[in-house]
Amino acid sequence: MTHSNKKINRLIPTNEDTIGPYYPISFCDGDSIDMATTKNGIIFKPEGEQIKVNGCVRDINGNLANGVLLEFWQANAKGVYRTPDNINDPDIDPWFTGYGRYRTMDGNFTLKTIKPGRCGDRAPNITLTIFSDGIMRVVTQLFFENDPANDQDPLLQVVPEDLRERLMIKKTKENEYFIEIIMAGENETPFFDDLLS
Amino acid sequence: MTKLGRQIEIGPTDNTSNERTPRNRLHLIPDAARASFVPWAPRIQGLDPAEADLTRLAPGRPRAEGDPIKVTGKVMDEFGRPIRNSIIEIWNANKFGRYSHIEDHSGLQLDPNFLGLGRTVSNDQGEYEFWTIRPGAYLARPDINRWRPKHIHFSIRGGSSRLITQMYFDGDEHNDTDPMRILMGDNFHVNIGKEYETPDEDFDSGYQFDIVIGGKNPTFFENI
Repeated sequence: MTHSNKKINRLIPTNEDTIGPYYPISFCDGDSIDMATTKNGIIFKPEGEQIKVNGCVRDINGNLANGVLLEFWQANAKGVYRTPDNINDPDIDPWFTGYGRYRTMDGNFTLKTIKPGRCGDRAPNITLTIFSDGIMRVVTQLFFENDPANDQDPLLQVVPEDLRERLMIKKTKENEYFIEIIMAGENETPFFDDLLS
Repeated sequence: MTKLGRQIEIGPTDNTSNERTPRNRLHLIPDAARASFVPWAPRIQGLDPAEADLTRLAPGRPRAEGDPIKVTGKVMDEFGRPIRNSIIEIWNANKFGRYSHIEDHSGLQLDPNFLGLGRTVSNDQGEYEFWTIRPGAYLARPDINRWRPKHIHFSIRGGSSRLITQMYFDGDEHNDTDPMRILMGDNFHVNIGKEYETPDEDFDSGYQFDIVIGGKNPTFFENI
């Protein structure tokens, strides 16, 4: 009863709906999937190890998921997120927003960024939101394979051990990584519930 | 046994939904990780007010074919508090059910005076206003004669607010067979624009579509 009383004065949220196949491409004009380079001809760069994460998004049949809109979000090299409540944090990197957005026409992407730092007991990670035709928004968080902090990460702890590997960004060569996102079916990427949580 | 979150449902008769909907339940996010799931998107600078008028390509250009409509509403959190300064994007098909998007291969009639995409920013009361053309329904699955009802797509972002949704029209004959409408169940009514008259204005009618952003996404709204 307490639960329902608490909810009683709340409005019913608008239902999420699919983005559909025709999200206007021009709405992405100002977007960037390159967080490692400072725009507007400024010489300064964000601190930290510059990395490239190559990746792709696949459907239940193993086909590339065309036309999905990807949103990336991460902490800077010192593990600090750029949010309005910490603008005075001395560890904010003025050259790093931690936010990237990209509409991939064919399902492949290359994220240029800096390797995020540890944030408390959180292992370095990148939040990924996927907007696609046919589904509502889904979110997940990607980690770096073999990072010593992974063992203690509170989010990875809620994912069954045999599935954790699917969230691991794997190193392919110096400063370069790879991740495959599988939206459905065999080897499906674990996704998280940010509405009920 | 860890408690699990929602099971996302597959939209009936929607092939893409079948191909892309995760089959496993979502994992709940522990409190220690909750905040990290709320992105803070940088602002878009310098939106042109004319971007909220979809009925013309630009001021002074001819008006697009079809019924001009006004779509107004208020963006709020679950407590009715206004969400200010969020970027609201809409996109909709033209009178004939065709998008100007380069990947719409339906072959339906184009209207050279209609792009069908617009943006605005919610004001201090969380309110917004668009002018557009009442969209046409279109045949989405010719093999089973399933139509997409008339609808206008909405995206709300800026700060940490993110919502992708669609506004539907009351009484559309195709509403009840729409895959995503079916998933909305009894709450479908909140996704219907409430029609109102627009006397002395150059619109066929107006639609009030208030948007309530649920969940914990509006965490940072008070800081905007």
